[in-house]
Amino acid sequence: MSEITVKTIELTKVYTRGKVEVPALNDVNLQIPRGEIVCIVGPSGSGKTTLLNLICGFDKPTHGRVLINDVDLTMLDDKELADFRLLTIGFIFQFYNLIPTLTALENVEIPLDLAKVSKKERQNRALDLLKIVGLETRADHKPDELSGGEQQRVAIARALANNPSVILADEPTGDLDSKSAMMFMELVKTLNKSPDYNQTFVIVTHDPLVVHECTKAFTIRDGRIERELSKEEIDSEHLHTGIVF
Amino acid sequence: MSTLNMAFRSLGRRRLRMGLTVSGIVVGVTVMFILLSLISGMDVQVRGMVRTLGGADITVSNATTRGPDNLGGPGNGMFLNATRTLPESLTQTIDKILGVYAISPQLEFNAYVGGNRVTVIGIDPATYSEVTGGLNVVSGSSISNNEKYKIVLGKAVADSLAATIGESVTVGTTLTDGEPFTVVGIFETGTSFQEYTCYIPLEDAQTITNQEGLVTEILVKCEDPNDVSSVSSAISASIPNVRVTSQTLMVSQQSQMLNTLTMFFTALGLVAIFAGSFGVANTMLMSVSESTREIGTLKAIGARNSRIMGIFLTEALLIGSIGGGIGVIVGVVLSYVFPNLTRGIFGFMPFGGGFGGGTTLPTIAPTITLLNIVLCFSLGTLVGVLAGFYPAWRAARMKPVEAFRHV
Repeated sequence: MSEITVKTIELTKVYTRGKVEVPALNDVNLQIPRGEIVCIVGPSGSGKTTLLNLICGFDKPTHGRVLINDVDLTMLDDKELADFRLLTIGFIFQFYNLIPTLTALENVEIPLDLAKVSKKERQNRALDLLKIVGLETRADHKPDELSGGEQQRVAIARALANNPSVILADEPTGDLDSKSAMMFMELVKTLNKSPDYNQTFVIVTHDPLVVHECTKAFTIRDGRIERELSKEEIDSEHLHTGIVF
Repeated sequence: MSTLNMAFRSLGRRRLRMGLTVSGIVVGVTVMFILLSLISGMDVQVRGMVRTLGGADITVSNATTRGPDNLGGPGNGMFLNATRTLPESLTQTIDKILGVYAISPQLEFNAYVGGNRVTVIGIDPATYSEVTGGLNVVSGSSISNNEKYKIVLGKAVADSLAATIGESVTVGTTLTDGEPFTVVGIFETGTSFQEYTCYIPLEDAQTITNQEGLVTEILVKCEDPNDVSSVSSAISASIPNVRVTSQTLMVSQQSQMLNTLTMFFTALGLVAIFAGSFGVANTMLMSVSESTREIGTLKAIGARNSRIMGIFLTEALLIGSIGGGIGVIVGVVLSYVFPNLTRGIFGFMPFGGGFGGGTTLPTIAPTITLLNIVLCFSLGTLVGVLAGFYPAWRAARMKPVEAFRHV
């Protein structure tokens, strides 16, 4: 398997609003090495979420290709794409997106159920994952009985369920207080370093706290990757999205 | 998390709306079930009636509307079921026809028995049993040959009069006159309508109605049941102006009538269920709309279109089957209540009272059959699934990026 987990080649996305064409991404070439925690930072409307949607196959590019583990997502049909996402990509949303009628345990079980894992095995695995994120005692609670930070940890456990090679996160700390955001990033780092998981994380954010914890960071502006931040810029205590951009 | 479990949880989240939607299906299925049960009830009743009309293969009656044989003179017409009579002597003509095994004449009219207006049939005891197989006498005995002024009461009449064997009841064409008859037996048919009937000797019937030598029907038994058609034709050919009917013809006519009724009632029921299907479609469309975020999330996680479609189709199936199940249960309960309900509605016309000094009201008892239960339940379920198909398809086709954009 290639050392590059995510690769985009001339990735372009143009939305059409009536007769007007609105470019959202323009010729994006990005390579994300395996085992890194990479963040993509940029102001609102810069194309961060569009890029993430294309990387995980939620949307089709107007032009260009997306390769994850050397598989070209643009060549897959709906069914193949669903199966690929199920086993290769984990996704974390800003607003957690847990199914409100299911308990924390059942939410974590969903990807395992979709992957046709037996009931007993998926329950054990889901419980193990909840232990990793420190929520085993909250397994029977429904999302509305959990705090924002707890819900996001359940979302991490759900994203890890099928042990995917890459986890994509869209503004994962956007709805969390700083303490919960810190806990979230600690968990991401732990999982990234864990030999059992060792996922590559791609995080879209404008939270400097998140950027500090990443191993690589790219800035995006007007639908183009502007540059990669240096180690000093990432570690800088004065890092602020306003300064960076 | 099975598809069924997720569909159940989703329905549980919108209990009121689901309850109202299910109610639409319940009403449709209930209406359908009651109508089908009524048809089945009618079918059973008609078949039973035809069967117990007498085992006669052929019934010969007067086909003319007016004429010298007509009994419709003043004071008589209203008491005769068929205001047309035949000379009793025609039995000799019929007896000569090839294939005729036995003949029994009878005179049917309406009369007051113990003050209650019922149907009275004068029969020839010597031949009646041979042609029809006789009455199903459950108490006492039937009328014997050469007996006079004896009467066999239908169970409904006996119950109404609280009459017992050996008692005397008055039989007359008006309330004020009549001859005393001794009750010798009580018969049952299983069909209440037919039990509002009494049997007396033919000669006594002719005396009471002043119709000596006349009958209303001549019952014929064939040597071979397969010859019914040819014997019927021979009777028609040899005697003008008579109506020749056979059980086969009656059953065929009744079946035709029931088929028409079945089609009409089924159409009514289908309209009711169809109306309910709009509710299901509307609920499912709203459910899909409200679940946009969940649909997007599941697809983002890796759910295939078929899985999403399965969840919403299962939800629609549950609505349909719950509605169908409750509809069938309500239908069964109402089918039991229905005969009592009709009695209650027509209760102001009790036996022996009402129009013309008395009336006999047949009640249609709905018959519950396994076929109707399965049919109505399946129909409710099918309507639910069909109504949920388009919303489910829409949910399955939704792209994650569109789902998140609309949240």
